[in-house]
Amino acid sequence: MMSYLEEHYELIHKTPRLFALHVTREQLLDTLHQITTHTSFDTLSQLTCTDWIEEERFELGYMLTNALRSHNLMLKCSIARDKVTMPSLALLFAQAEVMERELHEMFGIGFEGNETLYDFALEGWCDIPPMRREFDTLAYVNAHYDFREGREDNLDVKEEIKKRKAAAKSAKETPSGA
Amino acid sequence: MERKVITIYHGPQHPGITGNMSVELDLMGETITRARTHVGYLHRGFEKLIERRTIIQAFTIVCRICVPEPDPNEANFALAVERLAGIEVSERASYIRVMVLEMARLGAQLLWMAGQSGSVGLGTVGQWSIYDRDLILDLFEQLTGGRVYHMYIYPGGVRRELPDGFLERLSALLDYLQKRLDAYDRLFFDNASFQKRAIGVGVVRGEEVLRRGFSGQVLRGCGFARDLRRDNPYLLYDQLEFDIPTQSAGDVYARALVRRAEMRESIRILRQVIAQMPEEGAIMQKLPKHRKFTLPKEDTYVAVESARGEFGYYMAGDGSEMIRRMQVKGPSLIHAFSLLEPLLVGEELSNVALIMNSLGICPPEIER
Repeated sequence: MMSYLEEHYELIHKTPRLFALHVTREQLLDTLHQITTHTSFDTLSQLTCTDWIEEERFELGYMLTNALRSHNLMLKCSIARDKVTMPSLALLFAQAEVMERELHEMFGIGFEGNETLYDFALEGWCDIPPMRREFDTLAYVNAHYDFREGREDNLDVKEEIKKRKAAAKSAKETPSGA
Repeated sequence: MERKVITIYHGPQHPGITGNMSVELDLMGETITRARTHVGYLHRGFEKLIERRTIIQAFTIVCRICVPEPDPNEANFALAVERLAGIEVSERASYIRVMVLEMARLGAQLLWMAGQSGSVGLGTVGQWSIYDRDLILDLFEQLTGGRVYHMYIYPGGVRRELPDGFLERLSALLDYLQKRLDAYDRLFFDNASFQKRAIGVGVVRGEEVLRRGFSGQVLRGCGFARDLRRDNPYLLYDQLEFDIPTQSAGDVYARALVRRAEMRESIRILRQVIAQMPEEGAIMQKLPKHRKFTLPKEDTYVAVESARGEFGYYMAGDGSEMIRRMQVKGPSLIHAFSLLEPLLVGEELSNVALIMNSLGICPPEIER
Protein backbone atom coordinates (compact mmCIF):
# COMPACT_ATOMS: atom_id res chain seq x y z
CA MET A 1 0.00 0.00 0.00
CA MET A 2 2.63 2.51 1.07
CA SER A 3 5.17 1.49 -1.56
CA TYR A 4 2.77 2.43 -4.36
CA LEU A 5 2.10 5.81 -2.79
CA GLU A 6 5.77 6.52 -2.15
CA GLU A 7 6.68 5.51 -5.66
CA HIS A 8 4.13 7.73 -7.35
CA TYR A 9 3.57 10.69 -5.03
CA GLU A 10 5.43 13.03 -2.71
CA LEU A 11 4.08 11.57 0.45
CA ILE A 12 4.23 13.53 3.71
CA HIS A 13 4.54 11.28 6.77
CA LYS A 14 2.72 13.10 9.55
CA THR A 15 2.72 10.12 11.93
CA PRO A 16 3.36 6.42 11.32
CA ARG A 17 -0.33 6.04 10.50
CA LEU A 18 -1.25 9.42 9.02
CA PHE A 19 -0.03 10.61 5.61
CA ALA A 20 -0.76 13.55 3.38
CA LEU A 21 -0.13 14.54 -0.19
CA HIS A 22 -0.85 17.67 -2.18
CA VAL A 23 -2.83 17.59 -5.41
CA THR A 24 -4.16 20.28 -7.69
CA ARG A 25 -7.84 20.66 -8.46
CA GLU A 26 -7.26 19.14 -11.90
CA GLN A 27 -5.39 16.13 -10.49
CA LEU A 28 -7.89 15.34 -7.75
CA LEU A 29 -10.25 12.90 -9.48
CA ASP A 30 -7.51 11.03 -11.29
CA THR A 31 -5.37 10.77 -8.16
CA LEU A 32 -8.33 9.51 -6.16
CA HIS A 33 -9.09 6.96 -8.82
CA GLN A 34 -5.48 5.74 -8.86
CA ILE A 35 -5.23 5.55 -5.09
CA THR A 36 -8.54 3.74 -4.59
CA THR A 37 -7.60 1.30 -7.37
CA HIS A 38 -4.01 0.54 -6.34
CA THR A 39 -4.08 0.85 -2.56
CA SER A 40 -6.47 -0.10 0.21
CA PHE A 41 -7.36 3.55 0.89
CA ASP A 42 -10.86 3.18 -0.48
CA THR A 43 -13.11 5.01 1.99
CA LEU A 44 -13.75 8.73 2.29
CA SER A 45 -14.13 9.46 5.97
CA GLN A 46 -14.04 13.25 6.14
CA LEU A 47 -13.97 16.32 3.95
CA THR A 48 -12.36 19.34 5.59
CA CYS A 49 -11.88 22.94 4.60
CA THR A 50 -9.57 25.58 6.07
CA ASP A 51 -9.81 29.21 5.05
CA TRP A 52 -6.35 30.77 4.56
CA ILE A 53 -7.77 34.20 3.82
CA GLU A 54 -4.38 35.95 3.95
CA GLU A 55 -3.16 33.64 1.17
CA GLU A 56 -6.48 33.96 -0.70
CA ARG A 57 -7.07 30.23 -0.78
CA PHE A 58 -9.14 27.47 0.72
CA GLU A 59 -7.41 24.23 1.56
CA LEU A 60 -9.65 21.21 1.18
CA GLY A 61 -8.70 17.94 2.80
CA TYR A 62 -10.07 14.64 1.53
CA MET A 63 -9.46 12.17 4.33
CA LEU A 64 -9.24 8.59 3.13
CA THR A 65 -9.06 5.53 5.30
CA ASN A 66 -8.48 1.87 4.56
CA ALA A 67 -10.81 -1.07 5.09
CA LEU A 68 -8.93 -2.02 8.26
CA ARG A 69 -9.30 1.54 9.58
CA SER A 70 -5.65 1.44 10.57
CA HIS A 71 -4.21 4.26 8.44
CA ASN A 72 -5.38 7.63 7.13
CA LEU A 73 -4.34 9.52 4.05
CA MET A 74 -5.30 13.13 3.45
CA LEU A 75 -5.35 14.55 -0.06
CA LYS A 76 -4.92 18.30 0.22
CA CYS A 77 -6.10 20.58 -2.51
CA SER A 78 -5.81 24.37 -2.50
CA ILE A 79 -8.25 26.44 -4.48
CA ALA A 80 -8.58 30.19 -4.94
CA ARG A 81 -11.18 31.73 -2.64
CA ASP A 82 -12.78 33.60 -5.53
CA LYS A 83 -13.01 30.56 -7.81
CA VAL A 84 -14.72 28.17 -5.55
CA THR A 85 -15.89 25.12 -7.43
CA MET A 86 -14.70 21.59 -7.14
CA PRO A 87 -15.70 18.37 -8.87
CA SER A 88 -18.11 16.37 -6.73
CA LEU A 89 -17.04 12.98 -5.42
CA ALA A 90 -20.61 11.81 -4.94
CA LEU A 91 -20.33 9.24 -7.71
CA LEU A 92 -17.20 7.74 -6.16
CA PHE A 93 -18.38 7.89 -2.54
CA ALA A 94 -22.04 8.17 -1.57
CA GLN A 95 -21.11 9.82 1.73
CA ALA A 96 -19.40 12.70 -0.12
CA GLU A 97 -22.82 14.10 -0.99
CA VAL A 98 -23.65 15.33 2.50
CA MET A 99 -20.07 16.36 3.26
CA GLU A 100 -20.03 18.58 0.17
CA ARG A 101 -23.43 19.94 1.06
CA GLU A 102 -22.11 21.10 4.41
CA LEU A 103 -19.02 22.77 2.91
CA HIS A 104 -21.19 24.44 0.29
CA GLU A 105 -23.29 26.03 2.99
CA MET A 106 -20.47 26.93 5.37
CA PHE A 107 -17.85 28.15 2.85
CA GLY A 108 -19.80 28.77 -0.34
CA ILE A 109 -17.87 26.15 -2.31
CA GLY A 110 -19.69 24.72 -5.31
CA PHE A 111 -19.39 21.03 -6.12
CA GLU A 112 -20.06 20.30 -9.78
CA GLY A 113 -22.25 17.24 -10.14
CA ASN A 114 -23.72 17.27 -6.65
CA GLU A 115 -27.47 17.75 -6.99
CA THR A 116 -28.15 18.11 -3.26
CA LEU A 117 -26.53 21.44 -2.43
CA TYR A 118 -29.59 22.83 -0.67
CA ASP A 119 -29.86 23.97 2.95
CA PHE A 120 -27.97 21.86 5.45
CA ALA A 121 -28.02 23.24 9.00
CA LEU A 122 -28.90 26.87 8.22
CA GLU A 123 -32.38 27.60 6.99
CA GLY A 124 -32.81 30.40 4.49
CA TRP A 125 -29.30 31.79 5.11
CA CYS A 126 -28.55 34.77 2.87
CA ASP A 127 -25.45 36.29 4.47
CA ILE A 128 -21.78 35.45 3.74
CA PRO A 129 -21.19 31.71 4.24
CA PRO A 130 -20.48 31.75 7.97
CA MET A 131 -17.29 29.71 8.13
CA ARG A 132 -15.45 32.12 5.85
CA ARG A 133 -12.97 34.15 7.85
CA GLU A 134 -14.46 37.48 6.80
CA PHE A 135 -17.78 36.57 8.42
CA ASP A 136 -17.85 38.43 11.73
CA THR A 137 -19.93 36.50 14.26
CA LEU A 138 -20.07 39.33 16.78
CA ALA A 139 -21.18 41.89 14.19
CA TYR A 140 -23.85 39.46 12.96
CA VAL A 141 -25.14 38.89 16.48
CA ASN A 142 -25.22 42.62 17.23
CA ALA A 143 -27.08 43.30 14.01
CA HIS A 144 -29.68 40.54 14.38
CA TYR A 145 -30.29 39.99 18.09
CA ASP A 146 -31.15 42.10 21.14
CA PHE A 147 -29.52 41.61 24.48
CA ARG A 148 -31.85 40.28 27.12
CA GLU A 149 -32.78 42.81 29.77
CA GLY A 150 -31.11 42.39 33.12
CA ARG A 151 -27.82 41.10 31.76
CA GLU A 152 -26.23 44.42 30.85
CA ASP A 153 -23.95 44.49 33.89
CA ASN A 154 -22.34 41.22 32.83
CA LEU A 155 -21.43 42.32 29.34
CA ASP A 156 -17.90 43.40 30.24
CA VAL A 157 -16.35 41.02 32.72
CA LYS A 158 -13.32 43.20 33.42
CA GLU A 159 -15.52 46.21 34.18
CA GLU A 160 -17.71 44.08 36.39
CA ILE A 161 -14.71 42.87 38.41
CA LYS A 162 -13.53 46.47 38.81
CA LYS A 163 -16.97 47.52 40.02
CA ARG A 164 -17.12 44.71 42.54
CA LYS A 165 -13.65 45.48 43.86
CA ALA A 166 -14.54 49.16 44.22
CA ALA A 167 -17.79 48.26 46.02
CA ALA A 168 -15.93 45.91 48.39
CA LYS A 169 -13.28 48.57 49.08
CA SER A 170 -15.89 51.20 49.74
CA ALA A 171 -17.79 48.86 52.09
CA LYS A 172 -14.55 48.22 53.99
CA GLU A 173 -13.75 51.91 54.33
CA THR A 174 -17.26 52.82 55.45
CA PRO A 175 -17.74 51.82 59.13
CA SER A 176 -20.72 49.53 59.66
CA GLY A 177 -23.82 51.24 61.00
CA ALA A 178 -22.57 54.65 59.77
CA MET B 1 -59.65 3.08 -3.27
CA GLU B 2 -57.14 5.82 -4.03
CA ARG B 3 -53.89 5.43 -2.09
CA LYS B 4 -52.49 8.73 -0.98
CA VAL B 5 -48.93 9.70 0.01
CA ILE B 6 -48.81 11.91 3.07
CA THR B 7 -45.77 13.72 4.44
CA ILE B 8 -45.07 14.01 8.14
CA TYR B 9 -42.20 15.35 10.21
CA HIS B 10 -40.81 12.92 12.76
CA GLY B 11 -39.22 15.38 15.18
CA PRO B 12 -37.58 17.62 16.29
CA GLN B 13 -40.11 17.58 19.15
CA HIS B 14 -40.76 13.88 19.38
CA PRO B 15 -39.91 11.37 22.09
CA GLY B 16 -38.71 8.92 19.47
CA ILE B 17 -36.05 11.17 18.00
CA THR B 18 -32.48 11.09 19.26
CA GLY B 19 -32.03 14.77 20.03
CA ASN B 20 -32.88 17.87 18.00
CA MET B 21 -33.35 16.42 14.57
CA SER B 22 -36.18 15.85 12.19
CA VAL B 23 -36.87 13.19 9.62
CA GLU B 24 -39.29 14.17 6.87
CA LEU B 25 -41.19 11.05 5.91
CA ASP B 26 -43.41 10.30 2.93
CA LEU B 27 -45.88 7.62 3.93
CA MET B 28 -48.08 5.30 1.98
CA GLY B 29 -50.28 4.05 4.77
CA GLU B 30 -47.81 3.04 7.47
CA THR B 31 -44.98 2.36 5.04
CA ILE B 32 -42.22 4.89 4.43
CA THR B 33 -41.61 5.65 0.76
CA ARG B 34 -39.06 8.43 1.19
CA ALA B 35 -37.06 9.85 4.10
CA ARG B 36 -35.11 13.07 4.36
CA THR B 37 -33.03 14.10 7.35
CA HIS B 38 -33.14 17.71 8.54
CA VAL B 39 -30.69 19.19 11.02
CA GLY B 40 -29.97 22.71 12.23
CA TYR B 41 -32.14 22.88 15.32
CA LEU B 42 -29.07 22.91 17.55
CA HIS B 43 -26.49 24.70 15.43
CA ARG B 44 -24.33 26.63 17.88
CA GLY B 45 -21.46 27.58 15.63
CA PHE B 46 -18.84 25.95 17.84
CA GLU B 47 -16.30 25.46 15.07
CA LYS B 48 -16.54 29.15 14.24
CA LEU B 49 -16.29 30.25 17.87
CA ILE B 50 -13.21 28.09 18.39
CA GLU B 51 -11.37 29.93 15.62
CA ARG B 52 -11.47 33.09 17.73
CA ARG B 53 -10.42 31.54 21.02
CA THR B 54 -7.23 30.48 22.73
CA ILE B 55 -6.67 26.85 23.59
CA ILE B 56 -8.06 27.00 27.10
CA GLN B 57 -11.05 29.00 25.90
CA ALA B 58 -11.78 26.51 23.11
CA PHE B 59 -11.38 23.65 25.57
CA THR B 60 -14.46 24.76 27.49
CA ILE B 61 -16.54 24.43 24.32
CA VAL B 62 -15.54 21.08 22.88
CA CYS B 63 -17.20 18.88 25.49
CA ARG B 64 -20.54 20.41 24.52
CA ILE B 65 -20.32 19.13 20.98
CA CYS B 66 -21.95 15.84 21.94
CA VAL B 67 -24.20 15.89 25.00
CA PRO B 68 -24.51 12.15 25.74
CA GLU B 69 -20.82 11.54 25.23
CA PRO B 70 -18.64 14.60 25.81
CA ASP B 71 -15.38 12.93 26.81
CA PRO B 72 -14.23 11.69 23.37
CA ASN B 73 -14.33 15.36 22.35
CA GLU B 74 -12.02 16.33 25.18
CA ALA B 75 -9.70 13.44 24.32
CA ASN B 76 -9.59 14.37 20.64
CA PHE B 77 -8.98 18.01 21.41
CA ALA B 78 -6.14 17.17 23.78
CA LEU B 79 -4.58 14.59 21.45
CA ALA B 80 -4.66 16.98 18.50
CA VAL B 81 -3.16 19.91 20.41
CA GLU B 82 -0.50 17.66 21.92
CA ARG B 83 0.45 16.28 18.53
CA LEU B 84 0.74 19.75 16.99
CA ALA B 85 2.56 21.25 19.98
CA GLY B 86 4.80 18.22 20.56
CA ILE B 87 3.62 17.50 24.10
CA GLU B 88 4.12 14.07 25.68
CA VAL B 89 1.70 12.86 28.32
CA SER B 90 2.71 10.79 31.34
CA GLU B 91 1.74 7.15 31.70
CA ARG B 92 -0.40 7.85 34.75
CA ALA B 93 -2.34 10.59 32.93
CA SER B 94 -2.88 8.24 29.98
CA TYR B 95 -4.31 5.59 32.28
CA ILE B 96 -6.64 8.14 33.85
CA ARG B 97 -7.75 9.20 30.38
CA VAL B 98 -8.54 5.61 29.42
CA MET B 99 -10.48 5.27 32.64
CA VAL B 100 -12.52 8.39 31.90
CA LEU B 101 -13.21 7.29 28.32
CA GLU B 102 -14.39 3.84 29.37
CA MET B 103 -16.57 5.22 32.15
CA ALA B 104 -18.04 7.58 29.57
CA ARG B 105 -18.59 4.67 27.17
CA LEU B 106 -20.46 2.72 29.83
CA GLY B 107 -22.56 5.75 30.67
CA ALA B 108 -23.34 6.38 27.00
CA GLN B 109 -24.39 2.75 26.47
CA LEU B 110 -26.71 2.91 29.49
CA LEU B 111 -28.22 6.11 28.14
CA TRP B 112 -28.61 4.45 24.74
CA MET B 113 -30.39 1.54 26.41
CA ALA B 114 -32.88 3.97 27.93
CA GLY B 115 -33.64 5.48 24.52
CA GLN B 116 -33.82 2.19 22.68
CA SER B 117 -36.03 0.51 25.27
CA GLY B 118 -38.31 3.55 25.29
CA SER B 119 -38.73 3.26 21.52
CA VAL B 120 -40.32 -0.18 21.99
CA GLY B 121 -42.36 0.75 25.04
CA LEU B 122 -40.19 -0.93 27.67
CA GLY B 123 -40.09 2.05 30.02
CA THR B 124 -38.80 0.19 33.06
CA VAL B 125 -35.47 -0.54 31.37
CA GLY B 126 -34.85 3.18 30.92
CA GLN B 127 -35.63 3.92 34.55
CA TRP B 128 -33.10 1.32 35.63
CA SER B 129 -30.38 2.26 33.18
CA ILE B 130 -30.66 6.01 33.83
CA TYR B 131 -30.29 5.27 37.53
CA ASP B 132 -27.20 3.19 36.84
CA ARG B 133 -25.77 5.87 34.61
CA ASP B 134 -26.29 8.33 37.44
CA LEU B 135 -24.02 6.21 39.59
CA ILE B 136 -21.30 6.70 36.99
CA LEU B 137 -22.06 10.41 36.91
CA ASP B 138 -21.64 10.48 40.71
CA LEU B 139 -18.09 9.26 40.24
CA PHE B 140 -17.50 11.80 37.49
CA GLU B 141 -18.68 14.50 39.87
CA GLN B 142 -16.18 13.36 42.49
CA LEU B 143 -13.40 13.28 39.93
CA THR B 144 -14.05 16.40 37.90
CA GLY B 145 -16.65 18.48 39.71
CA GLY B 146 -19.09 18.05 36.80
CA ARG B 147 -21.63 15.36 36.10
CA VAL B 148 -22.22 15.63 32.36
CA TYR B 149 -19.56 18.06 31.10
CA HIS B 150 -16.27 17.28 32.76
CA MET B 151 -13.64 19.57 31.22
CA TYR B 152 -11.07 17.19 32.63
CA ILE B 153 -8.88 15.84 29.83
CA TYR B 154 -6.73 18.82 28.91
CA PRO B 155 -3.70 19.06 26.61
CA GLY B 156 -0.76 17.87 28.69
CA GLY B 157 -2.67 15.41 30.86
CA VAL B 158 -5.70 15.66 33.12
CA ARG B 159 -6.71 18.52 35.36
CA ARG B 160 -7.08 16.91 38.77
CA GLU B 161 -5.57 14.09 40.77
CA LEU B 162 -7.89 11.21 41.67
CA PRO B 163 -9.73 11.81 44.95
CA ASP B 164 -8.82 9.52 47.87
CA GLY B 165 -10.43 6.10 47.52
CA PHE B 166 -11.67 6.79 44.01
CA LEU B 167 -10.40 3.58 42.43
CA GLU B 168 -11.96 1.52 45.24
CA ARG B 169 -15.30 3.18 44.67
CA LEU B 170 -14.98 2.64 40.93
CA SER B 171 -14.17 -1.02 41.54
CA ALA B 172 -17.25 -1.41 43.74
CA LEU B 173 -19.39 0.23 41.08
CA LEU B 174 -18.04 -2.17 38.45
CA ASP B 175 -19.00 -5.13 40.67
CA TYR B 176 -22.49 -3.71 40.91
CA LEU B 177 -22.79 -2.99 37.18
CA GLN B 178 -21.56 -6.46 36.29
CA LYS B 179 -24.54 -7.92 38.15
CA ARG B 180 -26.87 -5.37 36.65
CA LEU B 181 -25.83 -6.38 33.14
CA ASP B 182 -27.18 -9.86 33.86
CA ALA B 183 -30.44 -8.27 34.95
CA TYR B 184 -30.54 -6.19 31.75
CA ASP B 185 -30.17 -9.39 29.74
CA ARG B 186 -33.34 -10.75 31.31
CA LEU B 187 -35.23 -7.49 31.24
CA PHE B 188 -34.25 -6.17 27.84
CA PHE B 189 -31.90 -8.06 25.52
CA ASP B 190 -33.55 -11.47 25.99
CA ASN B 191 -37.02 -9.97 26.23
CA ALA B 192 -39.29 -11.36 23.50
CA SER B 193 -40.99 -7.95 23.11
CA PHE B 194 -37.72 -6.34 22.12
CA GLN B 195 -36.55 -9.26 20.01
CA LYS B 196 -39.77 -9.32 17.99
CA ARG B 197 -39.46 -5.62 17.27
CA ALA B 198 -35.72 -5.58 16.55
CA ILE B 199 -34.89 -8.76 14.65
CA GLY B 200 -34.89 -8.30 10.89
CA VAL B 201 -35.46 -4.53 11.13
CA GLY B 202 -33.08 -1.87 9.76
CA VAL B 203 -30.77 -4.37 8.12
CA VAL B 204 -27.33 -3.14 6.97
CA ARG B 205 -25.18 -5.71 5.17
CA GLY B 206 -22.53 -6.33 2.58
CA GLU B 207 -18.91 -5.49 1.83
CA GLU B 208 -20.03 -2.10 0.58
CA VAL B 209 -20.59 -0.81 4.13
CA LEU B 210 -16.84 -0.47 4.63
CA ARG B 211 -16.51 1.88 1.66
CA ARG B 212 -19.40 4.04 2.76
CA GLY B 213 -17.64 5.33 5.86
CA PHE B 214 -19.87 3.73 8.49
CA SER B 215 -18.39 2.91 11.85
CA GLY B 216 -19.15 1.65 15.34
CA GLN B 217 -21.94 -0.85 15.90
CA VAL B 218 -23.13 -0.44 12.31
CA LEU B 219 -19.94 -2.20 11.12
CA ARG B 220 -19.59 -4.56 14.04
CA GLY B 221 -23.26 -5.50 13.81
CA CYS B 222 -22.69 -6.88 10.32
CA GLY B 223 -19.56 -8.83 11.09
CA PHE B 224 -16.68 -6.37 10.65
CA ALA B 225 -14.52 -6.22 13.77
CA ARG B 226 -13.46 -2.60 13.39
CA ASP B 227 -12.55 -0.59 16.46
CA LEU B 228 -9.98 2.20 16.52
CA ARG B 229 -8.86 1.20 19.99
CA ARG B 230 -7.25 -1.79 18.32
CA ASP B 231 -7.00 -0.84 14.64
CA ASN B 232 -5.37 2.56 15.12
CA PRO B 233 -4.52 2.56 18.83
CA TYR B 234 -4.24 5.69 20.93
CA LEU B 235 -3.42 6.27 24.60
CA LEU B 236 -2.67 2.86 26.16
CA TYR B 237 -5.26 0.68 24.45
CA ASP B 238 -2.57 -1.42 22.77
CA GLN B 239 -1.48 -2.52 26.25
CA LEU B 240 -4.92 -3.62 27.38
CA GLU B 241 -6.76 -6.83 26.65
CA PHE B 242 -10.25 -6.65 25.27
CA ASP B 243 -12.33 -8.25 22.54
CA ILE B 244 -14.22 -6.56 19.75
CA PRO B 245 -17.69 -8.10 19.77
CA THR B 246 -19.40 -8.66 16.43
CA GLN B 247 -22.69 -9.98 15.10
CA SER B 248 -23.57 -10.96 11.58
CA ALA B 249 -27.26 -10.20 11.09
CA GLY B 250 -26.79 -6.45 10.57
CA ASP B 251 -30.18 -5.57 12.06
CA VAL B 252 -31.28 -3.49 15.04
CA TYR B 253 -31.03 -6.50 17.31
CA ALA B 254 -27.49 -7.32 16.18
CA ARG B 255 -26.38 -3.78 16.96
CA ALA B 256 -28.00 -4.04 20.40
CA LEU B 257 -26.17 -7.30 21.10
CA VAL B 258 -22.89 -5.69 20.11
CA ARG B 259 -23.54 -2.91 22.60
CA ARG B 260 -24.44 -5.41 25.28
CA ALA B 261 -21.10 -7.19 24.84
CA GLU B 262 -19.22 -3.88 24.67
CA MET B 263 -20.44 -2.90 28.11
CA ARG B 264 -18.84 -6.05 29.49
CA GLU B 265 -15.63 -5.25 27.62
CA SER B 266 -15.57 -1.73 29.09
CA ILE B 267 -15.82 -3.22 32.58
CA ARG B 268 -12.96 -5.57 31.67
CA ILE B 269 -10.82 -2.67 30.50
CA LEU B 270 -11.61 -0.61 33.59
CA ARG B 271 -10.57 -3.47 35.86
CA GLN B 272 -7.21 -3.65 34.06
CA VAL B 273 -6.78 0.10 34.38
CA ILE B 274 -7.42 -0.07 38.11
CA ALA B 275 -4.88 -2.88 38.48
CA GLN B 276 -2.17 -1.42 36.24
CA MET B 277 -2.34 2.33 36.87
CA PRO B 278 0.94 3.61 38.38
CA GLU B 279 0.35 4.93 41.87
CA GLU B 280 2.57 7.92 41.33
CA GLY B 281 3.49 10.18 38.47
CA ALA B 282 2.68 13.58 37.08
CA ILE B 283 -0.84 14.04 35.81
CA MET B 284 -0.10 17.26 33.90
CA GLN B 285 2.90 18.45 31.93
CA LYS B 286 4.23 21.94 32.27
CA LEU B 287 2.52 24.00 29.60
CA PRO B 288 3.27 27.43 28.13
CA LYS B 289 1.36 30.31 29.64
CA HIS B 290 -2.13 30.96 28.35
CA ARG B 291 -1.28 33.62 25.75
CA LYS B 292 1.99 31.94 24.76
CA PHE B 293 0.44 28.55 24.11
CA THR B 294 0.68 28.60 20.31
CA LEU B 295 0.29 25.94 17.65
CA PRO B 296 2.63 25.75 14.63
CA LYS B 297 1.34 26.19 11.10
CA GLU B 298 0.63 22.51 10.65
CA ASP B 299 -2.38 20.24 10.69
CA THR B 300 -3.27 16.82 11.94
CA TYR B 301 -6.11 14.36 12.33
CA VAL B 302 -6.83 12.34 15.45
CA ALA B 303 -9.66 9.92 16.13
CA VAL B 304 -10.95 7.85 18.99
CA GLU B 305 -13.55 5.10 19.12
CA SER B 306 -16.55 6.63 20.83
CA ALA B 307 -19.48 4.57 22.12
CA ARG B 308 -21.13 5.15 18.73
CA GLY B 309 -18.22 4.90 16.28
CA GLU B 310 -15.23 6.77 14.94
CA PHE B 311 -14.99 10.27 16.36
CA GLY B 312 -12.27 12.37 14.76
CA TYR B 313 -10.93 15.91 14.86
CA TYR B 314 -9.07 17.68 12.10
CA MET B 315 -7.04 20.51 13.58
CA ALA B 316 -4.83 23.14 11.97
CA GLY B 317 -2.67 25.74 13.68
CA ASP B 318 -1.29 28.94 12.15
CA GLY B 319 1.50 29.96 14.52
CA SER B 320 -0.79 32.01 16.75
CA GLU B 321 -2.44 31.19 20.08
CA MET B 322 -5.76 30.62 18.25
CA ILE B 323 -6.72 27.37 16.58
CA ARG B 324 -6.96 28.10 12.88
CA ARG B 325 -9.44 25.34 12.11
CA MET B 326 -10.99 22.52 14.04
CA GLN B 327 -13.42 20.30 12.20
CA VAL B 328 -15.36 17.55 13.90
CA LYS B 329 -16.03 14.23 12.28
CA GLY B 330 -18.46 12.15 14.29
CA PRO B 331 -20.25 9.01 13.17
CA SER B 332 -23.62 10.77 13.06
CA LEU B 333 -23.19 12.84 9.89
CA ILE B 334 -22.84 9.81 7.65
CA HIS B 335 -25.22 7.63 9.66
CA ALA B 336 -28.00 10.23 9.74
CA PHE B 337 -27.88 11.07 6.04
CA SER B 338 -26.14 8.48 3.89
CA LEU B 339 -27.41 5.55 5.94
CA LEU B 340 -30.66 6.47 7.68
CA GLU B 341 -32.39 7.98 4.63
CA PRO B 342 -32.20 4.87 2.41
CA LEU B 343 -32.57 2.51 5.37
CA LEU B 344 -35.97 3.89 6.34
CA VAL B 345 -37.52 3.37 2.91
CA GLY B 346 -39.85 0.38 3.05
CA GLU B 347 -39.93 0.33 6.86
CA GLU B 348 -42.98 0.91 9.02
CA LEU B 349 -43.45 4.29 10.70
CA SER B 350 -43.30 2.62 14.12
CA ASN B 351 -39.73 1.48 13.42
CA VAL B 352 -38.23 4.92 12.81
CA ALA B 353 -37.21 5.56 16.41
CA LEU B 354 -35.95 2.02 16.78
CA ILE B 355 -33.69 2.27 13.74
CA MET B 356 -32.44 5.77 14.58
CA ASN B 357 -31.45 4.71 18.08
CA SER B 358 -29.66 1.66 16.79
CA LEU B 359 -27.43 3.79 14.53
CA GLY B 360 -26.20 5.95 17.41
CA ILE B 361 -27.14 9.25 15.81
CA CYS B 362 -26.38 12.32 17.92
CA PRO B 363 -27.59 15.50 16.13
CA PRO B 364 -25.54 18.06 18.13
CA GLU B 365 -22.43 16.45 16.74
CA ILE B 366 -23.68 16.80 13.14
CA GLU B 367 -24.20 20.54 13.15
CA ARG B 368 -21.76 21.54 15.94
